[in-house]
Amino acid sequence: MVAELKYEISQNAYIKLVLHALKHKTTAVNGILLGRVKPQNESVVEIIDSVPLFHSNLALLPPREIALIMIEEHYGSEGLGIAGYFHANERFDDAELGIVAKNIGDHICRYFPQAAVFLLDNKRLEALPKGKDQSLVIQLYIRDASKNWKLAGPDGGSRLVIKEPAANVVLSDYISSEKWQDVVDFDDHLDDIKMDWLNPELFK
Amino acid sequence: MVSKTEETQLNRLENQVDNGGGGAWDYLCLVRKLKVRRSEKVFKYGLSILNDPKKRSALGPEEWTLYEQVAIAAMDCQCLDVTKDCIKVLQKKFPESKRVGRLNGMLLEAKGSWAEAEKAYSSLLEDNSLDQVIHKRRVAMAKAQGNISKAIELLNKYLEIFMADHDAWRELADIYVSLQMYKQAAFCYEELILSQPTVPLYHLAYADVLYTLGGLENLQTAKKYYASTIDLTGGKNTRALFGICLCTSAIAQVSKGRNKEDKESPELQSLAATALEKDYKQRAADKLGLLTSALRSLKI
Repeated sequence: MVAELKYEISQNAYIKLVLHALKHKTTAVNGILLGRVKPQNESVVEIIDSVPLFHSNLALLPPREIALIMIEEHYGSEGLGIAGYFHANERFDDAELGIVAKNIGDHICRYFPQAAVFLLDNKRLEALPKGKDQSLVIQLYIRDASKNWKLAGPDGGSRLVIKEPAANVVLSDYISSEKWQDVVDFDDHLDDIKMDWLNPELFK
Repeated sequence: MVSKTEETQLNRLENQVDNGGGGAWDYLCLVRKLKVRRSEKVFKYGLSILNDPKKRSALGPEEWTLYEQVAIAAMDCQCLDVTKDCIKVLQKKFPESKRVGRLNGMLLEAKGSWAEAEKAYSSLLEDNSLDQVIHKRRVAMAKAQGNISKAIELLNKYLEIFMADHDAWRELADIYVSLQMYKQAAFCYEELILSQPTVPLYHLAYADVLYTLGGLENLQTAKKYYASTIDLTGGKNTRALFGICLCTSAIAQVSKGRNKEDKESPELQSLAATALEKDYKQRAADKLGLLTSALRSLKI
């Protein structure tokens, strides 16, 4: 059905989500991926940016609905749409894609059928500072023909690539400097609207 | 559960300590009082006090409370050696203490020795079956091992005895929401609102759950609870204001084509929208455009 789609994620989109997860180590977190089908190559979806969403009550609708409306509105004017969903589980040992993540993924697929779901890989994240494993610390899930979410390949294979090869190095640097403290998510915005979920100063 | 004022006060104190302005002990006391989880900071600043003999003796009898606080923070940061040292000191000072016994149980948990921790807690419960902290540790253990149904079972049993424990009701509600068991979560919030009717957080959470459940009746009730949240917070709660707008829009959708028995007064929605616009204009002007489009799309 869907030919072997590839996903190309940008460094900023990737790092923002991982830092968000690190800021809230004791709860599950989630985020939205913004992107589009690559204009020059229809078999590639490029993920250009991400917005960290929530770190509490991920399964409640009202904050999510407001967030999605505002996010779509903002990025729509830049030619980007919601192209995927990111989820990080609460527990270190939990490597399963849970029901909330699947449901949100399904919802996004209604508007963008090539949408992907990314799950934080806790073990790889833990191993990152030790420098041994250079693969991305996120796992790619794609819907199969029967609309079930499946892990793509033994470890995403080569279907998920990052544009900037040194991304993990940059990520490790940010982790050492505790950059995660600066990440703002939609929960923070709803608690205090002065907090900007676009994180414009994060990578400056 | 912490109010905005309390959180601001705590963060200000934390920044002060971070920037070398002193106040570490006040910070540690405030963390303890508010029961928040700031383990990395508590570990860092608590340990530096404990390692300084002059500072330590200046604490007087509070020294032991600090040892306990640092022991727990150290476990949260996986620095188990520090925990062991703290427990040793406490054990020497309070040899037969159940409270120290609890810390030993938690250390076993932190090591992942679930069976031994369970044994330790069971034996402590034999002497005092009404130890609330230990009952809740067992719930935490179930949760940590991924056994959510056991956590729910234990928490429900706990609440049959300790039905005034608001934190426990909230924890149970959180767990139910994460499993998409919204009706059960709603029940928890109903209990909380009954016992503490003037806490806006419960009204807000209840409204969120009802909205998520959906259906005309739930949406109408949700709208009432967003309204009561606005009432209790002097109109300052952004989430509740958005909630009114979402409810009005959803109710209109659901009642399309039905006989409009109760006419929805549009005043509440426009008041909420105006309040939001005013707030964004003042404090988040760059997002005002997004807000206006969002509100427009909700008015369908």
